[in-house]
Amino acid sequence: MSPAPSRSLISLASALVCVFSAAAAQAQAPAAPAAPPSWQQGRSAEQEKSPLHPFAIEVTGKAANLLPVDKLKVPDGFKVEVWVDGVPGARSMALGNKGTVFVGTRQLKDVYAIVDRGGKREVKTILKDLDSPNGVVFSRGTLYVAERHRITRYDGIESRLDSPPDAKVVVDGLDPQKQPGHFWKFLALGPDGKLYYNVGAPGNIVMPAYFQAAISRVDPKTGIIENYAQGVRNSVGFDWHPQTKQLWFINHGRDWLGDESPNDTLHVATRKGQHFGYPYCHQGDTLDPEFGKNRSCAEFTPPALKLGAHIAPIGMRFYTGKMFPAEYQNNIFIAFRGSWNRTIKQGYNVTRVSFDADGKPKMEPFLTGFLVDEKADPPMWGRPNDVMVMRDGSLLVSDDQNGIIYRVSYAGK
Amino acid sequence: MFAAALCFFLHGAIAEEVPRKAQACVACHGPAGNSTDPAMPSLAGQPAQFISMQLFMFREGNRKDPQMSPMASSLSNADMNELAAYFSTQKPAAASHGTASENAAAGRRLAEQHHCVQCHGPALLGLQHIPRLAGQQFAYLRTQLRGFKARTRADFDGNMTSAAELLSEKDIEILADYLSGLTPSRD
Repeated sequence: MSPAPSRSLISLASALVCVFSAAAAQAQAPAAPAAPPSWQQGRSAEQEKSPLHPFAIEVTGKAANLLPVDKLKVPDGFKVEVWVDGVPGARSMALGNKGTVFVGTRQLKDVYAIVDRGGKREVKTILKDLDSPNGVVFSRGTLYVAERHRITRYDGIESRLDSPPDAKVVVDGLDPQKQPGHFWKFLALGPDGKLYYNVGAPGNIVMPAYFQAAISRVDPKTGIIENYAQGVRNSVGFDWHPQTKQLWFINHGRDWLGDESPNDTLHVATRKGQHFGYPYCHQGDTLDPEFGKNRSCAEFTPPALKLGAHIAPIGMRFYTGKMFPAEYQNNIFIAFRGSWNRTIKQGYNVTRVSFDADGKPKMEPFLTGFLVDEKADPPMWGRPNDVMVMRDGSLLVSDDQNGIIYRVSYAGK
Repeated sequence: MFAAALCFFLHGAIAEEVPRKAQACVACHGPAGNSTDPAMPSLAGQPAQFISMQLFMFREGNRKDPQMSPMASSLSNADMNELAAYFSTQKPAAASHGTASENAAAGRRLAEQHHCVQCHGPALLGLQHIPRLAGQQFAYLRTQLRGFKARTRADFDGNMTSAAELLSEKDIEILADYLSGLTPSRD
C-alpha cells in the first residue's frame, strides 16, 4: 500500500494537495463545509446546489460500433467517417514526416502513435507515465511533448516507434506550485521556430501569477522563456494565420456567471505583450463582478469573435489543405468540447470560422451530431477536441470522450 | 491473490448465463454483482462508466487492493468495457442493511451539507463515472470514505478527496449507515 495516492494518473487529484493544506487549518471546526474542488471555485452561495458538473472521459475508450457515429453530419459534398478508435483520451494531434499521427492525452498519461498501413491503422502507445501529456508538436524528425511541468523532445522518434528515445528536457519547472488549475498545455511551433504553450489560470476566477493566464514561448535551442500574451484565462488551441503570420488563439471564459455569460472567445495577437483581460474583463466588454472593480475593458485587447458561453473551444487550426473547396482556404476550424457550465447545453461540434471582404470573422457549425439532448445529463455522446489538416487536405478530429479520431473529406457535389 | 482464489472457490456455484469474464467477479461481488458481504461492493446496476473507470484505476495502480489489483492487471480496455456493460445492466437487489433510526435524518443532512447529492444525485443512484451509493454495502462505504479522508484512496478528479476532507469519523459512520439502507434502484 502506498501512503498517499500515487502520483497523478490524473493531474487534478495530485494537484489538489495545496487546497488540502489550506483546508486542514479549518479541520478543527466540524461544522465547516468541505473545501470545494477547483471547478467549483467562484460559485455564488445560491449556485452551491447547482447540478452542473464537468463530464469525465471514458478512460478505457469506447468502440465506435457502439456509438451513433451515423448521426454525425457535415455539409453537402463532405463525408465524415471513423478514422480509428481505441485511442483513449485522444486530444492534441501532430503529423510526422512519414505520416505517423502523434496523439497526446490530458487525463491519462500516454502519448500514442497511429501508423496507417494501407488503410489499416495501428495504435501504438509510445510514451507512458507522463503528467498530462496534452501538447504534441512534430518538427524536423523530433516530437515535442508538453506535460504539466515540462516540455521535452524525442529526437528521431518516427523511425523507432517501438523503442522511443529517452526524453530530453527543453524546459522544466513550469508547474512549480503543483496547485489545481489549468496547467495542462497545448503546444505549437511558431513561424519564429519557438515553441508556444499556455499556462492557464490556477482556478476559475483568481488573480494569476505573472507566468499564469498567459501564452508563453520557449526557444528550443536555448530554453529561454518569454511571456507572449497576458490575461488569457486558458487557451488550449492556437495557430498562425498562413499569410499574416499573426497568432490566433481561443480562450476559455470563466464559469458560474450564468448560461449566457461570458462568451468563450477567439483572439488575434498582433504583437507581443498584449493583455486580453483576465481576470478583470471578460469577452472584451464585461467587467468581472469581483476583479473588474475600478478597471475598464478599454484597457485590454478585445476578442476577434465571441464563440458562445462555456462552449469550450479546444483545438483550432487554419485550413491550408487543397481538398476542400477554395472558399475554405485560410478559414479556421475550432472544436467545441463543451459546454458543461450551462443549464441548456450548446456546442459539441466542429465550427468553421470564415472571413468577409473586410476580414470580419463569422462562424457556422461544420461537423455536428454529437449533441443529442441539450437538457440531458449527459447531453452528448462524444466531444470533439482537436482538429488537424492532413497532407491530402482531409481534416482529422479527435474525440477524447470516446478515444476516437474521425476524418472529414470532400468529394465534391 | 490467495484470498481472491479462496473467495472464488467458496462461491463456486455460478449461474450459467454469467459471461465467462464475469465469473471471477461474481465469486466475491455476488450473483449478478449483488454482494452479500458487507465489505464487498455491489456492482449490479452501477453506471458502466464507473465500473470501467475503477477497473482501469486498479490496473494502472492508482487504486490498490490485494484482491482487485491482481484481478485487473491482465484485463484489456475491451475486457473492462465488457464487464462494465454486463454489471451495469444487472438489477440491484433490495438493500439488506437497515439504517439505525437515529441516523436516517442525520445521514440525509450530512449528505446534503457535504454535497453528496449534487454529484451522486438526489436519490444517491449515481450517473456516468459517479457510483450509486444507495444500498451499497455498509462496511465498503465506510472504508472508502475513510480512505478518501486519509488520501489513501485514489480519486479520478479530486472531488471525493476534497469532499471527505472535513468528515469526522462519526460523520463517516452515520453517512455509511444512511446510504447503505437506501433503495438502490428507481423502481
